[in-house]
Amino acid sequence: MKRFCIFMIIAIFLLAGCASKVVQTAQPTTSVVTEKPLSSQGDGTKGRGGITEEELARAERERLLREQENRAAALLKDISFDYDSYTIKPSELPKIEAVGNWLKQNRAVIILVEGHCDERGTIEYNMALGQKRAEAVNNYLSKNGIDTGRIKAISFGKEVPVDPGNTEGAWAKNRRVHFKIDQKE
Amino acid sequence: MTRYSRIMIIVLGALGIVFGAIVSEARVYLDVYGASFKKITIGVPYFKGEKVEKLPIAMSDLLNKDLDWSGFFITAPNSLIDKELLDEGIEKKEINFNNWRSIGIELVCKGKAQIQNGELILEGFLYDTLDGSMLLAKRYKGPEGDWRKIVHRLADDILLTVTGEKGIMSSRVLFIGGGRNLKEVYTADFDGQGIKKMTNYRNITISPSMSPGGKYLAYTSYKEGRPNLYVIDTEKSTTTFVDRTDGMKLGTSWLNKSALVYSQTAGKYSTIYTYDVERRDKKVLLQREGILTSPSMSPDGKKMIFVSDMYGTPQVFSRDNGSGEIKRLSYYGNYNSSPSWSPKGDLITFVSKLEGGFEICTMNPDGTNQRVLTNDGTINDSPQFSPDGRYIIYSSQRGGKYGIHIMLFNGENKRKLTFTEYNEEQPRFIP
Repeated sequence: MKRFCIFMIIAIFLLAGCASKVVQTAQPTTSVVTEKPLSSQGDGTKGRGGITEEELARAERERLLREQENRAAALLKDISFDYDSYTIKPSELPKIEAVGNWLKQNRAVIILVEGHCDERGTIEYNMALGQKRAEAVNNYLSKNGIDTGRIKAISFGKEVPVDPGNTEGAWAKNRRVHFKIDQKE
Repeated sequence: MTRYSRIMIIVLGALGIVFGAIVSEARVYLDVYGASFKKITIGVPYFKGEKVEKLPIAMSDLLNKDLDWSGFFITAPNSLIDKELLDEGIEKKEINFNNWRSIGIELVCKGKAQIQNGELILEGFLYDTLDGSMLLAKRYKGPEGDWRKIVHRLADDILLTVTGEKGIMSSRVLFIGGGRNLKEVYTADFDGQGIKKMTNYRNITISPSMSPGGKYLAYTSYKEGRPNLYVIDTEKSTTTFVDRTDGMKLGTSWLNKSALVYSQTAGKYSTIYTYDVERRDKKVLLQREGILTSPSMSPDGKKMIFVSDMYGTPQVFSRDNGSGEIKRLSYYGNYNSSPSWSPKGDLITFVSKLEGGFEICTMNPDGTNQRVLTNDGTINDSPQFSPDGRYIIYSSQRGGKYGIHIMLFNGENKRKLTFTEYNEEQPRFIP
């Protein structure tokens, strides 16, 4: 049983390793693949008491997703917007194109396209505005050949600011579309 | 004619109308709907008690607080009233009305609390010091633990006697409380007691609204990873979804006891729907490109107000539900949002961006007579009228974190309500 468990973990890593090679910045992943299974084995023996294989596998999946996200974050940069606007600024187009290229190279990935607003406005209107921002980005991506089924628009209004401050700088950071890998897929 | 004399004539005219109202309808002491009104001075000497200690004084203290909070009275602290006046009895023959009048008190409220068969009984009397007439005499009964509720009932009845409309002290309110990513729906008594957590998703929950009668509670939750619209049947304690399709869904108003009005923004269009919770029946009211949000139905159901960006910035519009005709109501500034009808149908409250701040405003249903009620330069949001149409409850960022505030419909008598230690937003009275 234990051997099977370890086998599964290694198998997951190998698979993940294959998948991550598609990513352009594959260099750091190789070192991760050689290191991590050892520590995971340790976890496996520790976990015999209470943690089930399923939980272990899930924890691994989550860890891998986080890694993939961290790598993606470097490539999938936030798209910024003017106040009370969901028009894409010309300066942001190269960023969206980079996202499109990344999606073309990672065909299995589905991303959440999150629309966010700064705090200056009503809760309800900002919820709709965030949706429009996310959809404006999605429109551009789909015009660039990305299947609309892979880009899910979701608005968070002003509920999840990156910077809780009340300055012009904080507001500018918060008016954004943020990309996230859909963890459900 | 100078501007000044013209104003004087208007003021005198208004006074004439006020006096006319008092003479023809003697029971109403305050013309509440005038642009401004004179507060009435009221004395509430400590209540007398039988077989109860401390409680009578706590009750009269709370009544003083309630009347002060209402915004219609000037209360006289017991410490400023002669002991002789405080000690007199509660019956008409025991009261020296001349003495009360001589210290400027127009109304006196007397009370007596006692415990009978394990129940708390409060007898309340309201007298006019001018002629000693008794305006109110009422007996209230309930468990001793509900003494606050009993006082609030008396306060609401005093408001009814003096202003022609019941007070709001016995009301319950609905709001969103919590920190970032952890927002839940709460209900609570207006006085901050009896707090109940209605959702427990440990996620973002927004825009709660309750059906008239209080059977259904609608809200938008991210518990399934995206903003979906749900309804709780508070009688059966069951939760059902209203809309789980793509995009942002926000319920904001009720057409009747079972039909929710909500907006959806998804794809190119925004749509305003009605959804009957009992028949699970969805109808399109309005669909347009761009943003449509914050629909609110007039009390007679004939008109709907909403926000649209059809001219580039968020503005308030009104739609005739019969003819479908749409009229723009707000023109000032580049940000007008979150409109809501008064249950009386005579006013609309909304949020307007003015000099950097987001302020609470009112206007007539045709867009005229716009007034700015707050002026603090912070973010004020989500204004909603009380069921009697005399108060506006709203959330404000004044002081850093979001809290719930209330004021009279004309902007006077601003007060802060505190329920939890968290940020509190999107308050509403439970109808």
